[in-house]
Amino acid sequence: MFKRILVANRGEIALRVIRACREMGIETVAIFSEADRGAAYLDLADEAFCIGSARASDSYLKIDRVISAAEVGNVQAIHPGYGFLAENPHFADVCRSCRIEFIGPTHEAMSLVGDKNAARSLARQIGVPTVPGSDGLVEDKRQALSVARQIGFPVLIKAAAGGGGRGMRVALTEKALESALDQAQAEAGAAFGNADIYLEKYVEHPRHVEVQVLADTHGSAVHLWERDCTMQRRHQKLIEESPAPDLDDSARAAMCAAAVNLVKAAEYTNAGTVEFIVDRQGNFYFIEMNARIQVEHPVSELVTGIDLIKAQIRIAAGEPLPFAQEDICCRGAAIECRINAEDTTRNFQPCPGRIEKLIVPGGFGVRFDSHVYAGYTVSPHYDSMIGKLIVHQPTRDEAIACMLRALSELRIEGIHTTFPLHKQLLAHSAFAEARVDTTFIERTSIG
Amino acid sequence: MGSPSSTQDVFDVRKIRRLIELMNDHNLQEMDLRQGDMRIQLRRASDPVAGSLPQMQPVLAPTAPAVAPAPAAPPAAAEPVEDPNTTIIKSPMVGTFYAAPDPDSAPYVKVGDPIGRDTVICIVEAMKVFNEIQAEVAGMITAVLAENGEPVEFGQPLFRVKTA
Repeated sequence: MFKRILVANRGEIALRVIRACREMGIETVAIFSEADRGAAYLDLADEAFCIGSARASDSYLKIDRVISAAEVGNVQAIHPGYGFLAENPHFADVCRSCRIEFIGPTHEAMSLVGDKNAARSLARQIGVPTVPGSDGLVEDKRQALSVARQIGFPVLIKAAAGGGGRGMRVALTEKALESALDQAQAEAGAAFGNADIYLEKYVEHPRHVEVQVLADTHGSAVHLWERDCTMQRRHQKLIEESPAPDLDDSARAAMCAAAVNLVKAAEYTNAGTVEFIVDRQGNFYFIEMNARIQVEHPVSELVTGIDLIKAQIRIAAGEPLPFAQEDICCRGAAIECRINAEDTTRNFQPCPGRIEKLIVPGGFGVRFDSHVYAGYTVSPHYDSMIGKLIVHQPTRDEAIACMLRALSELRIEGIHTTFPLHKQLLAHSAFAEARVDTTFIERTSIG
Repeated sequence: MGSPSSTQDVFDVRKIRRLIELMNDHNLQEMDLRQGDMRIQLRRASDPVAGSLPQMQPVLAPTAPAVAPAPAAPPAAAEPVEDPNTTIIKSPMVGTFYAAPDPDSAPYVKVGDPIGRDTVICIVEAMKVFNEIQAEVAGMITAVLAENGEPVEFGQPLFRVKTA
């Protein structure tokens, strides 16, 4: 087992990893930018090094500095968290070349699943349903039009190198498609450094359901059931839950099995998430796989009772999974709300500033994962998520009631946050009846 | 805990807490640490006589009057001497600080040496690469703030330079 791990991230996920390490008796080395200097969670690490100025590109994304900190900090492994360098195959490769284990998949598996087009091809090869679409990248307008006519409008133009819900455009007609193609390529080139695009049929009113997977380095791969992340705003998740409500048992089983098959076919190891969209008829289609631990991992932890971060560390240390698929049950229902420092009255404008007062809810089945506290200053340099409120109860109705209760206790003063919106969403009958899709917030213009 | 500080907090509460732990662990009666013109003294009230003092750096620059000694409690922050004609050269990277090109050679610079913008003043070793660090200011070295062979982080003070 590792004696020391460097946490190559910040904020709540850095704290999450440090917590797991402390319980396992593993020392931690934290890194921070000048904007994060003084944050309380850094005191929980055994050592902490400043690796650059506020901008992520000058600090958390600087591979050479992260590796230097790992070397002076004398660590055996690096946990990348999510975002930043977590899905950078070059970083994973550099770590291992420097004889530092990367807590995640091999860089080859990461490259494969990170290329959305290649992942789709693999899925099709092994019989995992994918959304009808172009058979690969779309090279020119003529080809795009021909594919679109074949699969039927509306179509979705997607960036092959995109992710996190970015780099997607819907085209409703042939005319719209032509201009959308140019824009999508330009945006993709600017945002991801790669203008490659492909087409998919646009599934209307889709539900977003993803499967948590774990695979060790001894050939064993399991799923930890699914999470429904349909409640989104502009492709950014707001609420996640497990199990997916109103999902046929056979569809659930087939989807989870398909996820495991994909993991095995890609020779993927460690933690990952396989994303599907589910249409109104209950058909599921693979869209992409995320080669990292995700923000909403606590939802799966609560319903399965498995600590995913510890599992990641153990897999990276070469241990076999201590459980088989039949040991993994989904008990009760868990819901997570992502709390962002954003002003919902001003189009979700990020709202950095000092938190003057913070009252965190508690009670049976309530978990709050956050690095913030009264007196903490939310800086403008990073994403706006300041915490996750997660509840776990025996039934979905009880989980909704518990989350509403917990949200009513939560007090954050000094900055604007999104949790009042969560109260509205959870109290909405459509959520209770599982009648939402990914366009719900835009259509009902809540918040 | 306060908001992230924008200045180089040489004596932050976290470090002071560790110093106190060290004193307790090794049964020290007094600790007198200096870095540049910052100084911190920790002394146990029960024992007025100093034991052996682990000194980090030879005192080469005038030290400001520092801290009120307190019985195993963190003292108030030291007051650095502000001189408009001095500047601090900070580490541009994370790594290990070396004062000399190799263990058998003399240090690149010592206190009192004049330096130009291109003068190599130290090495910061990172990922097995020995990076020669240039001064990027002209003047005279008035203090060496980092210890040979110690890890340094981004922004850590390495040298004090008198520029005028």
